[in-house]
Amino acid sequence: MNRENGTHDSQLLKGVLSLALLRLLAERESYGYELVTRLRDLGLTDIQDGSVYPALGRLERDHQITSRLVPSSSGAARKYYRLSAGGYAELARSESAWMTLVRALQPLVSKPVPPKPKEALP
Amino acid sequence: MTALSKKDRILIELTVRRIDFKLDGRVPWRKRRQVRDELRANLLEAARDKGAAVAVKELGSLDAIADSYLEVYRGRFDLQTGSYWALAMYAAIQIVGIAVIVAFHAGVAASGTHSGTFSFNVWNGFGPYSGSVSGNGQSFEMTIASPAHIALMLVAFAIGSSYRWLFRKRSLPAKRGF
Repeated sequence: MNRENGTHDSQLLKGVLSLALLRLLAERESYGYELVTRLRDLGLTDIQDGSVYPALGRLERDHQITSRLVPSSSGAARKYYRLSAGGYAELARSESAWMTLVRALQPLVSKPVPPKPKEALP
Repeated sequence: MTALSKKDRILIELTVRRIDFKLDGRVPWRKRRQVRDELRANLLEAARDKGAAVAVKELGSLDAIADSYLEVYRGRFDLQTGSYWALAMYAAIQIVGIAVIVAFHAGVAASGTHSGTFSFNVWNGFGPYSGSVSGNGQSFEMTIASPAHIALMLVAFAIGSSYRWLFRKRSLPAKRGF
């Protein structure tokens, strides 16, 4: 997924953001900003906070995660998210879909790119 | 972790309110408050880590965030769009009203009359078009509000606030990917 300049394709990231969030929440209950920092720690440094917060709302609307408010020492209460039963099922399905995609594309992208495409036969 | 100044807090509150403004009238009030509270809490946390300006910058495009929230939480009615439609309807009525007054005045002038006041009324008492012009062309009066104005604006408001829901695509569920 890394490009030469170290940035990520935002469309590609958007496609797998739900999977990444579900996976992180399967490991530990988290709140929005903490999830952003955890994603950045994974190497997704150019992910925007503003794409994560609505994505959490979408997952909650779809009953894949649940939330609870926890008072914080830093002021405003944090909204902690955790996976629901539906979330575990969705995570399993997404992981399987991701692995299928990787397996399908791996042989293609692992080959060196030819300097010139072959001409089409008449 | 750094303490936040008043300026930082104002910047964060303005950012939250800018996003909230786009949700106004489109997202149920309770959900909007939840979005505001969560955004504010996350932004305050981020600002303590790396400064308010950086926290706001790393949020990305505020319009894009508001659009994403709308996609998730949009209610059945869009009162904001409905209000714009009602205002546009009022403007359209008045523009046509001015054209009617100008045409009526031209008619009075063409008749060669130079004294007295001439009035017209479409749907007497209901509006929206009624007014008068003086024969010498020095003054005129036109209706700026009438029952017809209100009725037409209400119709525009009703259509504008619900057309997205009325004409939404009832598509088959998409094949699921990630």
